[in-house]
Amino acid sequence: MTRQKYFFCYAMIAPALILTAVLGIYPMLNSLWMSFVEFDLLRVASFGTPFVGLDNYVAVFSDPRFVQTLLNTILFTVLAVTATLVFGLLLSQILNGTYPGRTALRMLVCVPWFVPPAVASAIWMWLLNTDRSPINFLLHDLGLITSDIRFLTDSATWGPFSIPMMSITAVRVWNGLPFAVIFLLAALQSIPRSLYEAAEVDGASLWQKFWYVTLPSLRPVLAILLTLLVIGGLGSFEINYIMTGGGPQNLTNIMAVYSYQQAFSFYRFDLASAASGIIFIMTGFISVFYLRSQLKKVA
Amino acid sequence: MTASISPRARTRSNPMRRVTAGLSLALLMSGTVLTASAQEITFWTQPQGDLLAYQDLFDQLTGEFRDQTGINVSVEVINWSVAFNTWLTVAQGGAAPDCADMYWLHSFSGIGAGRFGPMPITEYKDQWPTLEDDFYPGALADVNWNGEFYGIPWRVDIRPVIYRTDFLAEAGIEAPPANWEEIVEQGLALTQRDDNGNVTRWGFAPGNNNPAQTLLPYYWQAGGAMMSEDGKTATIDNEAMRTALKFLQDLVHIHKVTSPEIFEKSADPLTDFTSGMVAINGSSGNAWPVQLDRDYPEMEGTWALALNPEGPENRDSFSGAGYWGVLYGSRDVDACVEWIKFLSTPENMQRISETTGAASPRRSVMSSEFWTDRPWKQVMAETLNYGHTSQHPSSVWTALASPEPGAVIYDLVYNTVIGGADIDAAITEAQARMQAELDRANGS
Repeated sequence: MTRQKYFFCYAMIAPALILTAVLGIYPMLNSLWMSFVEFDLLRVASFGTPFVGLDNYVAVFSDPRFVQTLLNTILFTVLAVTATLVFGLLLSQILNGTYPGRTALRMLVCVPWFVPPAVASAIWMWLLNTDRSPINFLLHDLGLITSDIRFLTDSATWGPFSIPMMSITAVRVWNGLPFAVIFLLAALQSIPRSLYEAAEVDGASLWQKFWYVTLPSLRPVLAILLTLLVIGGLGSFEINYIMTGGGPQNLTNIMAVYSYQQAFSFYRFDLASAASGIIFIMTGFISVFYLRSQLKKVA
Repeated sequence: MTASISPRARTRSNPMRRVTAGLSLALLMSGTVLTASAQEITFWTQPQGDLLAYQDLFDQLTGEFRDQTGINVSVEVINWSVAFNTWLTVAQGGAAPDCADMYWLHSFSGIGAGRFGPMPITEYKDQWPTLEDDFYPGALADVNWNGEFYGIPWRVDIRPVIYRTDFLAEAGIEAPPANWEEIVEQGLALTQRDDNGNVTRWGFAPGNNNPAQTLLPYYWQAGGAMMSEDGKTATIDNEAMRTALKFLQDLVHIHKVTSPEIFEKSADPLTDFTSGMVAINGSSGNAWPVQLDRDYPEMEGTWALALNPEGPENRDSFSGAGYWGVLYGSRDVDACVEWIKFLSTPENMQRISETTGAASPRRSVMSSEFWTDRPWKQVMAETLNYGHTSQHPSSVWTALASPEPGAVIYDLVYNTVIGGADIDAAITEAQARMQAELDRANGS
């Protein structure tokens, strides 16, 4: 009976496993293999794909553009994840309240999620265009600025920060916030009211209720959310590629865009695979770290 | 004693069933024979102009071709958004049609390396005995490589100057710039700023947001060439490159008549032009006039085209052609050539040009009534005489000229024109990088 049960279970998950293996694991492993060989589209017909060991990784790390791209990716991810979590917590608290129009507000908050990143990028490109930005017009009208803000093209920097990087991050947060809000709202609704009532009896303030009741209760969901957001941030592509293409002066370039450029603009699939391999290592490390912590809890 | 008969034996013995089975088999076999004898080729193309009109036209053309030759052409229209990746896959041995409407011959041929992708049809070239007389040389350059002939150019992306007649009239300027000096003069006269110094109109935009495409006509006009004719030696470390880059750099930083954002991805030169943010564009998009006619009827009478201004050496214009060619692995090269020959008759190229609105590389089409009934069309046709192919004889050309940061020409142009970097140092570095890329493509 037990064997039959196992067989049934494996049969049920087999289609999903096969799809994951064919469309996910095989391409990933193939890409990893390409990062250890020379795979130059302009030379592959004549020279094949000789094994080059770590040469491709050395080559990408020797490229100052890649090093800047790596730092940009980390900065972009940290900023986007932090902002998404902070605003997500704030908005989910508001949406968890009881007041007229709550349902409509919940719907409104979810709207950016319905907009595909490519479409969102096109919309925000227009909104942030220096010469045509309604945001600039508004700020001019309010007398807050005298010269246009170059949201996507200003190459001035303050340490690792620049206006284009902040603009791109804001769009990413706008697009990804509903995902976090829905996660957190669901978790908030599962916290027993009795915990808050007990805290009130103990004279806890609003902040103390959040810190000692809400946050600990949200910790498991926050851990999953953090993991997903970080993985998504490290592998982010569309918004940066469409809105700035990594510019100006590589200030908003991130690893997935760099990888795409190497493969499809410069025909260097080997260097593209090495860059992707680094994303894979980073996301893999985060996933392993997360899974280990989960397994420890189960044990 | 009665012998038992199996159902199978009963079936065999049924005369009606035997007749039916025989007829079915005969029909099936005749069908197979018919299918085997019918010539069918597959043809992929990217849409030009209105998609439905383009599809209708090809329905008509394939019907007429089938009536004439008995060859059935199965046409598949590939969306432009996936075209590049499709041809890249084809050039690496992916599923390919028998013949197609293609572009970027040098790169896709180089990647295909004589096994996949575009296939030379030099032995069929005599099917077009007056090719050199019938077509513009700039377009023919895009279908010849390494001494081989690859097909017939059918559309050409030619980029004359486009300017706002209303703004020029307002500034008292009678004619668009005829040379580089006039670009600066008119740019200064047309650039406007508000009280806070914000630019409300740029006098001049040199081209689109692709730095390589923008640089090319100015570099040619200064007398430069990107590489040797065999595609083995980079030739950009010269006075022509210094002159062209200095001219563009000065437009941005000294004269301040050109936006420093022209090469950013968010820049949209057509919208800048229609919104009045730019008065003159020195290398307009090929499709702009058609789009302006169709989508901006209210702008009628406020814009016009002109020949590219004369540089220190000439007034070459950016030109790039799409072509009909055959692919390696084609099941029927003769049928493909027949189809291309049919498409490239003057009458059919006229129909195609009129339906798509794309300028034709065939001289007779560009001198037809359709291409001479409006002043802008006449300019377009005249500019074709100055068309300089934007393709170069190396498979790595499209990587060198890629509109992405990190590409050799992108970095050279962006860093000098926008970033204000030292031109000499930037050219020296770009020359070395470009040579390394050419060596890579040439198998060194």
